[in-house]
Amino acid sequence: MIHVEIAGETLFTIGWFEVTNSMVGAVLASLLLLAGAWYISSRSALIPHRLQSLLELPVEWVTGIVEGSTSRWRSYVALVIGLFLMILVANWLGLLPGVGTIGIRHTVEGEEILTPLVRPAAADLNFTLGLAIITFVVFVWWGVRVNGPIGYLKELVGEPRYMAPLMFPIHLISELSRLVSLSMRLFGNVFAGEVLIATMLALTTATLFVLPLAFFVPSIFLGLELLFGAVQAMVFALLTMTYITMAIAEHQGGHEPEEGEGREHRDAESEHRTAGSPA
Amino acid sequence: MEGNIASIAAGLAMIGAIGPGIGLGIGFSKAMEALGRNPDAAGAIFVPYILGLALTEAIGIYCLVVALILIFAGG
Repeated sequence: MIHVEIAGETLFTIGWFEVTNSMVGAVLASLLLLAGAWYISSRSALIPHRLQSLLELPVEWVTGIVEGSTSRWRSYVALVIGLFLMILVANWLGLLPGVGTIGIRHTVEGEEILTPLVRPAAADLNFTLGLAIITFVVFVWWGVRVNGPIGYLKELVGEPRYMAPLMFPIHLISELSRLVSLSMRLFGNVFAGEVLIATMLALTTATLFVLPLAFFVPSIFLGLELLFGAVQAMVFALLTMTYITMAIAEHQGGHEPEEGEGREHRDAESEHRTAGSPA
Repeated sequence: MEGNIASIAAGLAMIGAIGPGIGLGIGFSKAMEALGRNPDAAGAIFVPYILGLALTEAIGIYCLVVALILIFAGG
């Protein structure tokens, strides 16, 4: 039968520190990104060659989306691009042959199980929780930095002041639940994809018609995982941008204006900052 | 994992994925409607649409997480 672990399996320990196979996957994804970035920046040209334009593609696309959010987008566009590329590479690395299949075979309680050497990084709740904590700290920090701590708390209280005992816990919980939802969404999607692919690959032992089921069906689901990995990376990055945008916005009866109103908003924002800075 | 109430509960927990399924279908149909009315608005629709999809789908993921907890750490 298929055996999938919900937690990353420990490969070896260095002292008290346990190295799990999803840590190996995360480190591999980071090294791949760093190597790509170093190679591109050492050979960058004004007229880009093919590899450079390939890697400029996601950067330009994400920048195009972030540009339309607030007037201070340059401060956080690097975080959004970094999150997008990291999760994208980590997810797609999990589709390579060998990831999740090459491992150490040992018997536990009479059952022979395989511990893979490399596992997709986002299939471990620790990885997604770490990224979600980064996003949470960043957007709370932005909210406090732009509106001041008193302004941020006033944001949570809401507009009709008499509704505060009801609205304050609701807003507080909805802000905290962003942490949970970000991490759970990415983890659930990638882990479910892992289980799906493992199930599809195990179909061959259960049937006579080996070739179609051994080759075509898993490849359909690999394609699905390709799509979902990319979509989840984009969703995480865009949600980060949206939360930062919402933390910066002043709720004076509207949300953050889209492009075209950046200049007016910048003036209104500086006026609000001087008028509303805490005593 | 043998048959115990945790596995039945895990199966029942996934019934909750009906909600996001309906929600995603409604959201997608509205997006298609808006696109049909105004095909040039594809760029403006895209980002809020993906965001709405992700937030709706998260509820289904919560059901999945409950089911996974029941399978792997239940009984």
